[in-house]
Amino acid sequence: MQAEHKDIAYRYKLLVYLMDNIPDAIYFKDKKGKLVLVNQTHAKGLGMKPEEAIGKTDFDLFTKNAAERMVKDDKHVIETGKPMIDKIERATRPDGVDNYVSTTKIPMHDDKGNVIGLAGITRDITKRMQFERLEKEKARIEKRLEVLEVTNKVKSDFISTVSHELRTPLAIIKQLIVLISEEAAGPINNKQKEVIKKVEDNIERLKKLIDDLLDMSRIERNKLELNYSLVNFYDLFKDSEGFYKKLAEEKGINLRYLLPSKDINLFIDADRINQVIANLINNAIKFTEEGGKISVEVKILEAKIRVGIIDTGIGIAKSDLPQLFNRFVQVSNTGGTGKKGIGLGLSIVKELVKRHGGEIWAESELGAGSKFYFTLPRFYRPDVLNEGIKNKIDSYLSKGISLQFINLIIVNYKEFKKRIKVNPGKLFEDLKAIMDTTFKGVYKDNLKDFPMIFTNKKDGKCSIIFPKSTDRKNASIIYLFKDKIKKYFMDHKVESAFINIGILPCPAKVNLPVTRRFHAKFSVKEVYVGLEMRRFERVLYKTKVKAFLPKNKVETMQTIDISEGGICFIAKKPLKTDSNINIMLEFDKAKEPVVHAMARVAWIKKIELLSGESINKYKVGVEFINLKSKYRKIISRELKS
Amino acid sequence: MTEKKNNKKKILLIEDEKDMAYAVTLQLEAKGYEVISAFDGKDGLDKARMKKPDLIILDLMLPKIDGYKICRMLKFDSKYQHIPIILFTARAQELDKKIGKDVGADFYITKPFEPSALLDKIRELLALS
Repeated sequence: MQAEHKDIAYRYKLLVYLMDNIPDAIYFKDKKGKLVLVNQTHAKGLGMKPEEAIGKTDFDLFTKNAAERMVKDDKHVIETGKPMIDKIERATRPDGVDNYVSTTKIPMHDDKGNVIGLAGITRDITKRMQFERLEKEKARIEKRLEVLEVTNKVKSDFISTVSHELRTPLAIIKQLIVLISEEAAGPINNKQKEVIKKVEDNIERLKKLIDDLLDMSRIERNKLELNYSLVNFYDLFKDSEGFYKKLAEEKGINLRYLLPSKDINLFIDADRINQVIANLINNAIKFTEEGGKISVEVKILEAKIRVGIIDTGIGIAKSDLPQLFNRFVQVSNTGGTGKKGIGLGLSIVKELVKRHGGEIWAESELGAGSKFYFTLPRFYRPDVLNEGIKNKIDSYLSKGISLQFINLIIVNYKEFKKRIKVNPGKLFEDLKAIMDTTFKGVYKDNLKDFPMIFTNKKDGKCSIIFPKSTDRKNASIIYLFKDKIKKYFMDHKVESAFINIGILPCPAKVNLPVTRRFHAKFSVKEVYVGLEMRRFERVLYKTKVKAFLPKNKVETMQTIDISEGGICFIAKKPLKTDSNINIMLEFDKAKEPVVHAMARVAWIKKIELLSGESINKYKVGVEFINLKSKYRKIISRELKS
Repeated sequence: MTEKKNNKKKILLIEDEKDMAYAVTLQLEAKGYEVISAFDGKDGLDKARMKKPDLIILDLMLPKIDGYKICRMLKFDSKYQHIPIILFTARAQELDKKIGKDVGADFYITKPFEPSALLDKIRELLALS
């Protein structure tokens, strides 16, 4: 008896403990709906003490609407004797908090089985509902994004197909018009010639628009491929100089070229860079009035080449500058009529420069002309042949054997060596093996003496010489080389060092003095592995740099990297290209912590805004002008440490 | 001295766009070439084998046999290997990869093109062969 009593007391204690601590509301009601007992949680939710709630009905505690709903549920449970389980509903608590609850109501019976009331438990599931709603929303958005992506792809593919289809009739029109203009279909008079000229001009315009559309769809589909080759930058400009000078002259504009006398070899897609230059010069001509001036200047920077196209034209409003290179943007206040387009030109130009590893930016003011600048990384190229190889080639040519020569050149080899994880000895053994097996795979027949393979570990060169065969065989050898070498570098995880690989499409010039007498031919193809050249090592280094700007303005900025040649830092305002600024560089740790220097603004890159950001930031590269040797020493010491 | 007519260089133009073929034919004829036309791949291949042209201008997208196939069949056959082939295409980017790989054409030109560019190339290739 004692034990049983004790047992009941213990059970009671457990029940009370549960009732008082559970975060769910628990309540008992009699047949008439009056509360018999409530737990702490429920009382708290009602804003009263547990004993105060006893004897009250739902109508005393909730709004009429809510109470009616609850009473209806209660009635159903009591009349049918069946429980109501997990009913989810919205509820406004007396304290005004809106939430979701899940309610279970169980009928209570007396010993005879008559329903005498009910027990209820109500749980706040607001959080769970919110979570579920968020999940649902997330799924919905994800689905929509998926649909958008598909739509976008369909759109891009469509643009691509349409552009290709448009090209065919355009090509035909162009050929047909030529029949008339060149009088292949009979003579025409001068008036007719004038008309035909206008037709041709408009065909060109249409062609340009279609090309832009195609380029845009290629960019969107990640299908834009660059064909790199080593290009003499000087020749690139000289080739088109006459054309643009004539175009400018027709409008009464003076166009000058300021090119450095030094030979500059760049590793670029010549057609694409031509497209960039053409676009910028055409724009300059378009937006410059009669009597204006345009200059095209090329400057050699520390690690880059900078091209500037500067005009005295109508200019661009400052507020339009940040959007200038965005797709579909047509700057509004461009004045003149008929100067329309689809707003793709500059966005394509930007992408092309970006793909080459360069920057592009513009400076302008309404009425004060525009300056467009872009940069390209520079490359250094070793000599193709040394004396020993030249003599060997000569001896074969004098026997009447035509030779094919393929040169693999690692540009900027010194820097490349530092970054590749393979030691130079092994690297050239591997390259030699690649050349040998590729050659033997294509030329099945055994050739005495060939292929001759030379490696030059010092300069980063590897060359193969073999007798000239059909163009097809040569083409496939070069193709396979390129492919296998690319794979080799990928396998050795040198993506960061490995920038470009390309083939010189036309034979390189080689000075072979003796061989002119012989009929045998010697042709050269080159395969390049490239890496951007830097004269000074740039070190990531975060510190403060102060710039003393005109009108006594001082701006403090954060550096990104520093070299003995210059600094790269983040600025909130775009500085003027080529302007000179006094800067003060602070090194905290050094004994003499401050470097004073004059620097020239070399290049500027607008940093893409992340969503939510609204302040424009610019990455600016400056180069020191006549840096004092004591400061140079401080920098070099700091960067080493 | 043979007749003047026999000195004319023969160019086979395989192009299914008839208006394009018409325009190019007239231009070539104006420059003194003899032009044979074929409007589909099969006819083109037959004519290349039978008429022994000095040069072939070949469109890539052709009915019956496509241009790639024709180019390969001719360039892999020692009887016709020597005939220079200029490929014609509206799809430049898609093409250049294939060229290095297996087609073996001598040159390709993308549509739309400068008429003079085609004529210059023809002259150059005919001078070589």
